Amino acid sequence: MHIRYWEKLEKDPFGKTGLILVIFFAVLAAVAPFATQNPTAQTPLIFKPPSITHPLGTNDVGQDIWSRLVWGARTSFLVGLGVGVLSTLLATLLGASAALIGGWYEEVVIRTVDALLVIPTVILVILIAAFITPSIWLLIVVISLFRWQGGARIIRAQTLSLRKSMHISAAKSFGASTSYILFRHIIPDLGPILVVSFIYSCRMAIFMEAGLAFIGISDPSVISWGKMMHHALNFYYLDVWKWWLLPTGMALSAFILSFTLLSYCLEEAMDPRLGEGNA
Amino acid sequence: MRAMLKIKDLKVSYGKLRVLKGVNLEIREGECVGVIGESGTGKTTLALSIMRLIGENDGANVGGEILYKGENLLKIEEEVLRKIRWNNISIVFQNKEDALNPVYSVLDQVKEPLIEKGVDKKEATERAIHFLTEVGLPSRCIKAYPHELSEGEKQRCLLAMALVNNPGFLILDEPVSSLDTTSKVEAIAKINALCRGRSLLVLTHDISSAAKLTDKIAVLYGGKIVELAATPLLLSSPRHPYTRGLLRSYPNMTTTKDLQGMKGRMEPVESGCSFYPRCTQAVDICRQVEPELKKVGERFLACHRGGIIPFLEIANLTKIFGSFKAIDSVSLTLYEGETLALVGESGAGKTTLAKSTVGILEPEKGEVYLEGKKVTQRDKKFYKKVQMIFQNPRESLSHRLNVLEAVREPLDIHNSGPIKEREKKVAKVLAEVELPSDGDFVEKYPHQLSGGEVQRVVVARALILNPKILVADEPTSSLDASVQAKIVKLLLSLQEKRGLGILFITHDIALARKVSDRLAVMLQGRIIEEGLSSKVVSNPSELYTKNLLQAASTLDVDVPNDRNLSKSWQKEISRSWSLQTE
Repeated sequence: MHIRYWEKLEKDPFGKTGLILVIFFAVLAAVAPFATQNPTAQTPLIFKPPSITHPLGTNDVGQDIWSRLVWGARTSFLVGLGVGVLSTLLATLLGASAALIGGWYEEVVIRTVDALLVIPTVILVILIAAFITPSIWLLIVVISLFRWQGGARIIRAQTLSLRKSMHISAAKSFGASTSYILFRHIIPDLGPILVVSFIYSCRMAIFMEAGLAFIGISDPSVISWGKMMHHALNFYYLDVWKWWLLPTGMALSAFILSFTLLSYCLEEAMDPRLGEGNA
Repeated sequence: MRAMLKIKDLKVSYGKLRVLKGVNLEIREGECVGVIGESGTGKTTLALSIMRLIGENDGANVGGEILYKGENLLKIEEEVLRKIRWNNISIVFQNKEDALNPVYSVLDQVKEPLIEKGVDKKEATERAIHFLTEVGLPSRCIKAYPHELSEGEKQRCLLAMALVNNPGFLILDEPVSSLDTTSKVEAIAKINALCRGRSLLVLTHDISSAAKLTDKIAVLYGGKIVELAATPLLLSSPRHPYTRGLLRSYPNMTTTKDLQGMKGRMEPVESGCSFYPRCTQAVDICRQVEPELKKVGERFLACHRGGIIPFLEIANLTKIFGSFKAIDSVSLTLYEGETLALVGESGAGKTTLAKSTVGILEPEKGEVYLEGKKVTQRDKKFYKKVQMIFQNPRESLSHRLNVLEAVREPLDIHNSGPIKEREKKVAKVLAEVELPSDGDFVEKYPHQLSGGEVQRVVVARALILNPKILVADEPTSSLDASVQAKIVKLLLSLQEKRGLGILFITHDIALARKVSDRLAVMLQGRIIEEGLSSKVVSNPSELYTKNLLQAASTLDVDVPNDRNLSKSWQKEISRSWSLQTE
């Protein structure tokens, strides 16, 4: 069964919606420096309702909310992609190598995975983040370190079965080296799993970053949707929630939803039994 | 036994064309020696040289020695030689039309040598009639003219003519080759009966008659003897690649394998072994140095590589899964350019043996030798020579790779040449397996191909590195008979062209006997019987093999009239099965 991700995404309405949303946010994040005013500049114009100059009004210290929303998308994107890449990389390296090398090494990796699976990692991340108040890059590393175990487990299982599969035996019988088999066969064959695990990690990371910022554990210099919502809530008695809290919350929801839709669609592509008429 | 005729380093050339390049042959008293080879290898020249019927007058340059009872026939005076001819050495010529004079009756012609010798006419006539009757010529034909006789009758006259002076040494140049089969049998019987006690030199391309007439056979190629051995040994286990090729291309009722030829055609070579342009195991030295005829075991061979080399040897291979011995000290040898069929039921350990040999499974015990060297690690060099076709072709292709990528993969792994070159090779090998190599087809993915196409893609992929050994695990089990026939033909033609050694694993003994030179039967992890395919199939020694043969497919229409009979037969089968498994 051959999977063409692109075709699948194009055909599936969920996949299409997800993809369009992700592209929309990506464009938004990319054009942030040109489409906005200085997001940190404080002005005397506080709590202004939406206008031409301030599409979403201003906040308590006179900052342009629209600009902050757009820059916040950058933060979410960075954390999402960063954690996605890093945790998937960790999961692949550890999971695949455990399956290929075996022995005590595999034992160590698998026990670590088990340990991480039973520890409530969200609380752990909150504790660590509260303790070190990490910069955005450090935050990516911290989340990644606690986000690879699920993927690693699946990848190990899949690699174990792939390792015995005939086409890999065939490649071996042409004289292929272990690294060739890993990079040319096993990793591409793991593709569907890696894609889904990547998207899942992205989603979780975006949610976690927003959550941490919401409860106030984050680098104060970083503009984050979580932090915006946290601030907005302080002024719930004013009208500002309409253009401060609501758009931010909706942006975050839409962003997470887009990833959910993508993974939903690709998961179906990966397992033909979930789809209809997929050969 | 004393030597009757000793040929030493006989060289004959016509101008630049070297017909005989140093033939050494000894014929003892009462011995019958055959010389076989394709037409054009110099058989007739050899015969004519012995009789000194070619010389400088014909533009031939004859060198070396032909010693008849110690006398060099090439050097003695014409007078002396004339006495030896027909009296001591006589010849039955290949070309019957030319050998008989159309204006004399056969009786007169048979009489001629006697009268020449000085026997008086009456006695000569009597003896001529006696011999003509002996060779089986009907009495009405005795006074006939050659054009009134059939081929077989002319043949008999010539034989009578050669025998009439009672010579001790007879040269028969293609004695039976133009006769039909039944006349052939008769002629051979006559020759055997009449020539008992004489020395014979039979020159023929008809191997079957050589087998029935001779004690030993010399194989002549390109003017040199390449193999010389006792007839049964030579015919059952030829060691020179040319001898094997000759036997493979000779239609007969003994071997079961399909007819196979040799690559190329006979052409004169400047230096080195005459056979090297057609040899599939030739190395550099074969092109440079002419090999000498040397004693190898019980035979003489002229081959730098010591005859057909054992390319892949498996010694005492044992593979254990848990407590189950999947294969139990199996030893097999696969020769260059040979098919060894491995037959047995599922679960006999055939695939395990194949995988352990190729290195996909790690055997617990035993060694594998490639070209005589022990294989310690299986690297690219090993896999360049040994390739495997897996049992389940579709699974052995990655679903992510299209035909082009899949077939190209071995080249990619071996990093051989630029991409364009690789693609050319892919197109070539796809053409060899009779698959299209146009854009549409090579971009298809395995799930878009039919079973036969997938199988052929897998075969193409295994062949693209140009291996010398192919371990083919049920290469045709998923195909219908017509496609199977094509694939098998393809493999055999590659064997002919490249000297591909094939370990052909199958459960189908009917197929195995058509493709293999030798056959090994495997049961419960052991080889229980191994031998020439023809022998195993016609005369199996193991009960299990007999069962396999009985169960093999036939086209005989055999509806049992008596149900009880068929039941008893079934009982017989099941009883022998249970005996076997106990």
